[in-house]
Amino acid sequence: MESLKELILTECDRLKQGVPCDFVGVALQNRNDPDITWPYAMGNRNEKYKYITVRYGKGIAGKVISSGTPMGITNFPETILGKITDYPIMLAEKLVAAYSVPLVWNGLPKGALLIGYRNARQFDEHEEQKLREVAKHLESFLSSHFTDE
Amino acid sequence: MELKSGNQACSYIIQSQEEEIKRVALELHESINQNLYTLQTGLNFIESGIEQPELKNYAKEMSGLMERTIREVRLLSVELYPNTLSTLGLTAAVKSYAKLFTNTFGILIDVDSQGEEKLVSDPESLAAFRVCQEALINIAKYADTDKAKIAFTWGEFSVKIEIKDTGKGFDTNKVMESGRSMGIAAMGERMRLVGGQCNLTSELDKGTTVSIVLPIQS
Repeated sequence: MESLKELILTECDRLKQGVPCDFVGVALQNRNDPDITWPYAMGNRNEKYKYITVRYGKGIAGKVISSGTPMGITNFPETILGKITDYPIMLAEKLVAAYSVPLVWNGLPKGALLIGYRNARQFDEHEEQKLREVAKHLESFLSSHFTDE
Repeated sequence: MELKSGNQACSYIIQSQEEEIKRVALELHESINQNLYTLQTGLNFIESGIEQPELKNYAKEMSGLMERTIREVRLLSVELYPNTLSTLGLTAAVKSYAKLFTNTFGILIDVDSQGEEKLVSDPESLAAFRVCQEALINIAKYADTDKAKIAFTWGEFSVKIEIKDTGKGFDTNKVMESGRSMGIAAMGERMRLVGGQCNLTSELDKGTTVSIVLPIQS
């Protein structure tokens, strides 16, 4: 049986094949507190994502999880609200554009799936649709992260 | 004469800004957060007395939200003014900030201290702390590296602090000429106001070192 990591990275790889992005990341809320980490990534330039902890409501993942709605950045840092240091994953991976959708578990947004580009970009309907499709698959694996299954 | 009054105005602005930041941070920590904590205890008490499942769940959600808010306010307060600076000293405050910095940006910081730490007055330690903070933020923004080092060397009459990264570095002359060096100028100004020195060296593809020397008043 495949491990959760393998299952999630296979989905990330499928997403990376389907859309021409540079980076795919999965952010998940911790089991026992509202903080968010990036346990899974693909196309990363370094290991920084492993150490980043985002507060609920902060950064792109925190905002997507707290609002339960998708969020896009088309030309970082020109088009952002707040300071550039509020977006650590964009800085760490030198991303210029990113689009992220929530991952829902038990009716609540508990994670975020993100695609990132290292150049400015407008997102099209195909990319958003593909992201939502992979997010649906990922949601079915979340039980093993949030319970002892 | 003009230069002197300019420096005094600058010193006054930095000092009053720091005092205001400290006041807001302490108010958040000692007044607002204490009230929120009392409210949360009250909510938990009310929740334990509710039998209707929907209402009980609602009260539990409210209590969870209150807990998150208390945490947010505490972190905001620490971000504004590190209380550890007055209670545990400069090295401990920088170590604590370095930990928060790693959690935020994923950049590992090695903090090393040589020699016996001396007592540094509040304005001096705050100036040194703010320079370390600014230097680390610059590393996160521009250095493109995943580790950095902060080294304290305590002498009898001064402390030297070096914030060093092995990132991509930059052409200092170019940056100074372009006028995009306000942060660097602010670091120098902060140190000058407390009688210290700040020096920055950088080499393309080799990294950047910010070095400060702070005199210690006996």
